[in-house]
Amino acid sequence: MSDFDPGRRRFLGHLGLAGMGALGASSFLSACASSASGPTTSNGSGAVTIQSNLSSPQAKAAMEKLIETFNAQGKGTASLNTIASETFRTQLPTYLTSANPPDLYTWYAGSVANDYASKNLLLDVSEVWKSLDDYPQSLRTLSTDASGKQIFVPMNNYWWGFFYRKSNFAKWGVQEPKTWTEFLALCETLKSKGIPPIGIGLGDTPWVASAWFDYLNIRINGAPFHRELLAGKQRFDDPKVKAVFTRWREALPYFDPKGKAYPFQEATTALLAGKTGMFLIGTFFADAAPKDALGDLDFFRFPIIDPAVPLAEEAPTDGFFASAKTANPTGTKALLSYLSGVEAQEAYVKASSGIVLPANPKARASDSPLVVKGKAMLNEAKELTQFFNRDSSDALQPTADTALTKFIDKPDQIDAILREWQAGAEKVFKG
Amino acid sequence: MNKLRTGAFHTGMILLSLLWLGPVLWVVVMSTRSFDDIAAHGVGSLPRSFTLDTYRQAWTDGGELRALINSMLVTVPSVALSLGLAAMAAFALSRFRIPGRRTILLLMLAGNLLPPQILLIPVAKFSELTGLYDTLWALIAVQVGFGLGFYTFVLHGFMRDLPGEIQEAATIDGAGTAQIFTKVMLPLTRPALAALGALSFTWIFNDLLWAITVLRTDDNMPVTPALLALQGQFVSSWNVIAAGTVIAAVPTVAVFLRFQRHFVSGLALGAVK
Repeated sequence: MSDFDPGRRRFLGHLGLAGMGALGASSFLSACASSASGPTTSNGSGAVTIQSNLSSPQAKAAMEKLIETFNAQGKGTASLNTIASETFRTQLPTYLTSANPPDLYTWYAGSVANDYASKNLLLDVSEVWKSLDDYPQSLRTLSTDASGKQIFVPMNNYWWGFFYRKSNFAKWGVQEPKTWTEFLALCETLKSKGIPPIGIGLGDTPWVASAWFDYLNIRINGAPFHRELLAGKQRFDDPKVKAVFTRWREALPYFDPKGKAYPFQEATTALLAGKTGMFLIGTFFADAAPKDALGDLDFFRFPIIDPAVPLAEEAPTDGFFASAKTANPTGTKALLSYLSGVEAQEAYVKASSGIVLPANPKARASDSPLVVKGKAMLNEAKELTQFFNRDSSDALQPTADTALTKFIDKPDQIDAILREWQAGAEKVFKG
Repeated sequence: MNKLRTGAFHTGMILLSLLWLGPVLWVVVMSTRSFDDIAAHGVGSLPRSFTLDTYRQAWTDGGELRALINSMLVTVPSVALSLGLAAMAAFALSRFRIPGRRTILLLMLAGNLLPPQILLIPVAKFSELTGLYDTLWALIAVQVGFGLGFYTFVLHGFMRDLPGEIQEAATIDGAGTAQIFTKVMLPLTRPALAALGALSFTWIFNDLLWAITVLRTDDNMPVTPALLALQGQFVSSWNVIAAGTVIAAVPTVAVFLRFQRHFVSGLALGAVK
C-alpha cells in the first residue's frame, strides 16, 4: 500500500544482485576501463567528492551542514553528492569500479566493506585511525580488513530492540521481560487481552525477519557461530541452526497475522495505534513515527535465552570508506579525520534527528532517555553484530528472506527449508 | 427500456473511470496530507489534515526545479534527434531498394527485443570510455540509440503505405531526394510523427533506469531519480513524494493533451488498408 511502485523496487532489488554478480566480472572490466582516459574533474588538490546515500531530508541537511563547516575551515574543499539510497545500493559497485570514481562513500562497516577491500577497491585509511586511539577496539576490528589495514571510518551506530509504547504497557499492566520464559508469558497475557503481541512488517520489507534470526542465533549459539555461519564456514542445515527455529516456533503463534501483508513502516503505525504490543526493530523506525509519539516510546533488549552465552547485540555501524583510485588521498583523509572528530559527530547527531549513537567515544549522544538506555545496552554487550546482510552480503540476504518468510508460513517444513537455504547459500558463496 | 439501458451504461462507465482514476486521486489526496497524519493513520486511511507545504518541500528541498530542467534538457533533444534520424532511416528503407533493407530493419527491431538490464554494465563502461559518463550527453545518446529501432520500424510501416505515385509525381516535377523527404514525406508522416513524439516524450521523460546507470551527480539527475531521492533509507515522507510525483506528471500530461488528437488518429492510421 505504501509502496506506489512495487515492481520497480523489486526490479531494483534484482538489479542490485546483478550488480554484485557483476562485481566479480568487473575486475577485468575495471582494468580495461582504467586504461581509458576518463574525464579528469579532480586533480591532486581538487575538491573531494562524497557520494552519500543519506537521502532522507534530515540526514541530507545534516551532511550538507557538515561539509559546509569543513569547507569553511580551510583544510580542503569537499562537495556532497546525495543519491537516492535505493539507487546508491545498486550503483555502488559501478561507482567504485569506474575509471574516475568519487573519492568518499557513505556505507556499512563489516563484511560488506571487507568484500570491496579484498578486491583492492578501497583506500588504506590506517593513517586516519592513528588519531582515533580512543575508539573502542570493537570498532577498530570492525573497520579492519583481512590484510590488517583499516579501510573504514565509522560515523555512528544504532541498536535493535523490542519497542513498545509506555502508555500501552501501563494500560495493559505488563512489564518488560528479561528472559525468554518471561517474554512468552508476556505474549500470552497480551494475547488473552485480544492484542496481537508481536508486530512485524514483512510485505515489501522481508529483511526485517532477519533480525529475529540474528537475535535468536546470537542468543542461542553465540555471535562467533553466527558470524561463521554467515561467512559460509558453517551450514544452515546444522542442528544448531534448527534449534534457533525450534525456539522461534514457540513465539510464532504470537505474531501479528497481518504483519505478512504490510511493510515495517505500517507495522510501526500499528504499534503506535496500539494494534500490536511490541515490535523488534532498529531505531530508524522512529523516523516513521509522529513527533508526539516519540516521548512515549521505550524498548527492552531481546530476551536472554541461555545465560551462559556471552551477551551480544545488533549494532549496525554506518560510516565512510574511500576509493583506492582517489586522485586526492591527502584531502580525502583530511576529510575523514574531520568527520571522525567530536565536533562533526555531535553536529551530525544533533541535526539528523535520527536516533543514532556517535562512533567517537568522546562525542556526546542525544540525552533523551531512549538514547541513554540504548547506549547502556550496547556498552554492556560483550560482542556486537551488524545485521544479516552486513555480516554476510547483499547477495545472501534474499536467501534468508525466502527461508524465513517460508518458515513463518509453514513452520512444519523447517527441515526442507533449511536444506534449500543451505543450497541457496552455497550458490552465493561459490558465485 | 432504452432509458434503463442508457442509465446502466453511464453508471457502469462512471464506476469504471473511477476505478481508473482512483489511484491518481489517491496520490493527489496523499500529497495534501501532513506527515504526522500519514505516520499515525497509515497511507491508506482517510485524510485528517490538509497542507500544501508538501509541494513547497518537493520543489525546494527535493530540488525538483533543477531536476525538471535536466529532464527537459534530455527529453527534448532526444525526441527531436531520434525521430529525425528514424524518419530518415525509415524513408530510405521504405522507398528505396537498398540491398539488405529487410535485414537492416529486422536487426534494428531485434535490438529492441534485448532486455535493457543485460546492457546496463556495458553501457556504463562504454559511456566511461567515451568520457561521457555522468553528463547529460550520455543520457541523450543512450535514449536516442535505444529508441531508434522501434521508431524506425513504426515509421517504416507508415511510409511504406504512402502511395508511390506521390513520390513519382514529385520526381517528375524535378524534386531531388532531399526535397521529396522534407517537402513530401515528412508532411505526410505528420500524424505518425506526432503520435510517436508524444509516446517517446513520455518514455524518455519517465525513464529511470538509464538515468541512474550513466549519471552519478545529483545535480545532473532528471526528475525520476530525483523523486526516488526523496525516499529515505528506511522511512519516506510519502506525502512529499506524492506531491513531487504530481509535479513531475505535469509535463507529460501537457504533452499528451496537446498531441492527443494526433495520437488517436496516428494509431488508427494504417490500421485499414
